[in-house]
Amino acid sequence: MAIDTTRVEKFRKRPIDGLAFKHLVEAGLTWLRTNQQVVNALNVFPVPDGDTGTNMSLTLQSAWNEVKDSGTRHLGEMAAAFSKGALMGARGNSGVITSQILRGFSRGVHESATLDVDAFIKALGEARDTAYKGVVKPVEGTILTVIKETANAAESARGSVKDAIELLEVAVKAADEAVKKTPELLPILKQAGVVDSGGKGLFFFLEGMLRHVYGESLETPTVSVQSLSAMGLEDALGDVEEGQDYEVVVDFVPNGDLDLHTFYGKLEEMGTSIQVGEGEGMYRMHIHVPAENRYVPIDYIMGIGTVTKVAIENLMAQMDDIQKSKASQIQFTAVEPGSIAVVVVSPGTGLSRIFASLGVAAVVAGGQTMNPSTQDILSSFENMPTDKIIILPNNKNIVMAANQAKEVTVKSVQVVPTRTVPQGLAAMLSFDPGGDVAAVAEKMIRAMGNVKTGEITVATRSVEIDGVTVRDGQVIALLDGKLVASSETVEQGALGLLEKADAASHEIVTLFFGEDMSHQEANRIADVIRGKFANLEVEVQEGGQPHYQFILSIE
Amino acid sequence: MGEETTTLGGIHVSPNAVATIAYQATLKSYGVVGLAPKNLADGIVSTITREPSRGIAVHYKEDEIHIDINIIVEYGTRINSVAESVANTVRFHVEKALGLRVSAVNVHVAGLRISDTD
Repeated sequence: MAIDTTRVEKFRKRPIDGLAFKHLVEAGLTWLRTNQQVVNALNVFPVPDGDTGTNMSLTLQSAWNEVKDSGTRHLGEMAAAFSKGALMGARGNSGVITSQILRGFSRGVHESATLDVDAFIKALGEARDTAYKGVVKPVEGTILTVIKETANAAESARGSVKDAIELLEVAVKAADEAVKKTPELLPILKQAGVVDSGGKGLFFFLEGMLRHVYGESLETPTVSVQSLSAMGLEDALGDVEEGQDYEVVVDFVPNGDLDLHTFYGKLEEMGTSIQVGEGEGMYRMHIHVPAENRYVPIDYIMGIGTVTKVAIENLMAQMDDIQKSKASQIQFTAVEPGSIAVVVVSPGTGLSRIFASLGVAAVVAGGQTMNPSTQDILSSFENMPTDKIIILPNNKNIVMAANQAKEVTVKSVQVVPTRTVPQGLAAMLSFDPGGDVAAVAEKMIRAMGNVKTGEITVATRSVEIDGVTVRDGQVIALLDGKLVASSETVEQGALGLLEKADAASHEIVTLFFGEDMSHQEANRIADVIRGKFANLEVEVQEGGQPHYQFILSIE
Repeated sequence: MGEETTTLGGIHVSPNAVATIAYQATLKSYGVVGLAPKNLADGIVSTITREPSRGIAVHYKEDEIHIDINIIVEYGTRINSVAESVANTVRFHVEKALGLRVSAVNVHVAGLRISDTD
């Protein structure tokens, strides 16, 4: 991507006042947000700070909200408002440090109407000093080191730079180098083979400003390397462009260090949908190219490293398959960073679809006879871009696994101990994605008590419980987990159940029919129920659960 | 708690040792500029202390560890976020070092330090 030199000249001539500063920080925020996942991926282990990229983005977002409607041309006032917003929204360790950096910066430009070289140097110095004041034992190799090196570089550049834009270039370069040096200062980073996430976040914020000056795109992370597992290649197929008929995936080990800028540049000449993943010293490159060029990327990569695996596929054929399978897929609610995501355990596809329509973010398949493991539950939410999770186990045997998932993750998880699917649905109805996670969970726990659960299934052995005698193969009815009736047919079982549940005093009954039952049969039984309980509103839904002919929700 | 029985005998970790871990973790947390000892007689914060056992109280209650920390926070930071990250960091480091569950970390913000005025 070329630098737009006339644009840069224009920036050089115009003084950077409050409004220009506002555009710069907006660009910084946008660029950080674009690269948020790159920063998140740098987290070493379950560090208590959570996802640095998300925390920093949200902190700066809050700062941005404070200035977005402001029209002041005075730099000092604009920076002060920005810093105030960052303080109010500071999230996590990195967010607090970021807010301190901005506070120092804003103090440095307090009196300045525009950002000239001297004001800029002074502000970066103040930012550094303020950041270091906030901690007794500063840990080097973190965002603190990055702001320090950046400010120091700016101070040594005094006299040799002509304007604030040149100084910004110096600052971005220094930040970049400081980030690359962090593993040398902090052994944990070196062991994990990553750079410091907070420092990288600060670098993206500064680089975004420079990219804005250069007129470069802020929306696509041009040089990003993700972990191999995160590459999600299937989704990359969604945007096949005309003429790019072949998908080429090459695994390779580069000779020496891979220069990503050059690498991306070359690939951009060849095709689209470029992705590069890295793991254990190996890289994986993914690209879409026109049919006649399908060997070009392979030849190119053979020149810069050792190719270990090549896959070429015809996209048009693949696209058809994916579109077909997507049609029957359930669309879950997309998770906004920082909002609450709900994960439910659902025993059937029909129920999963209903949960999805209520705003659930992920479903773990499981129920009475197939209890999901803690790991199953954990992996459903671990990669979500939020740390606020609510789990609805929807079965008394799964509550414990859900609680274990809560123990082993660093995310803030609440388990709403729903013991049945209807309880889960009732809880879901009072879900609010924007609230405080503990308060929302509490509301959901209250809501789940508003519903009675009936279940109709077939007895697998002869037994007598709670005064009800059951023979093997008979239909049995359970009300809130208690055996209340046995009968010869599902119809009788359902009627017996509703009798016991005192259905006449309730308003709505929803029948979720299982995978062994047809829709017609379910409708027929619903009609019988309507005939018997005139005041009751009866709804029929496909549940798709195994073993249970009906799950009933009685409200 | 803080005790474990192996085939060779018992291991006992004193509250003071736990306090030292918590102390180190606290001082590395951003926004904390010191710990404050609590004067039991009047509950007034006196001077900033460097002695871990004075700013941090560790209690074992059956199977649980409770930690109370009195911190001084840098003026101008978001106090809630700082306290929250202290609680997270302390819990993480103590649990990592001991393999025991910390059931509560109570962070008391005893005061603020104003190092400069805006």
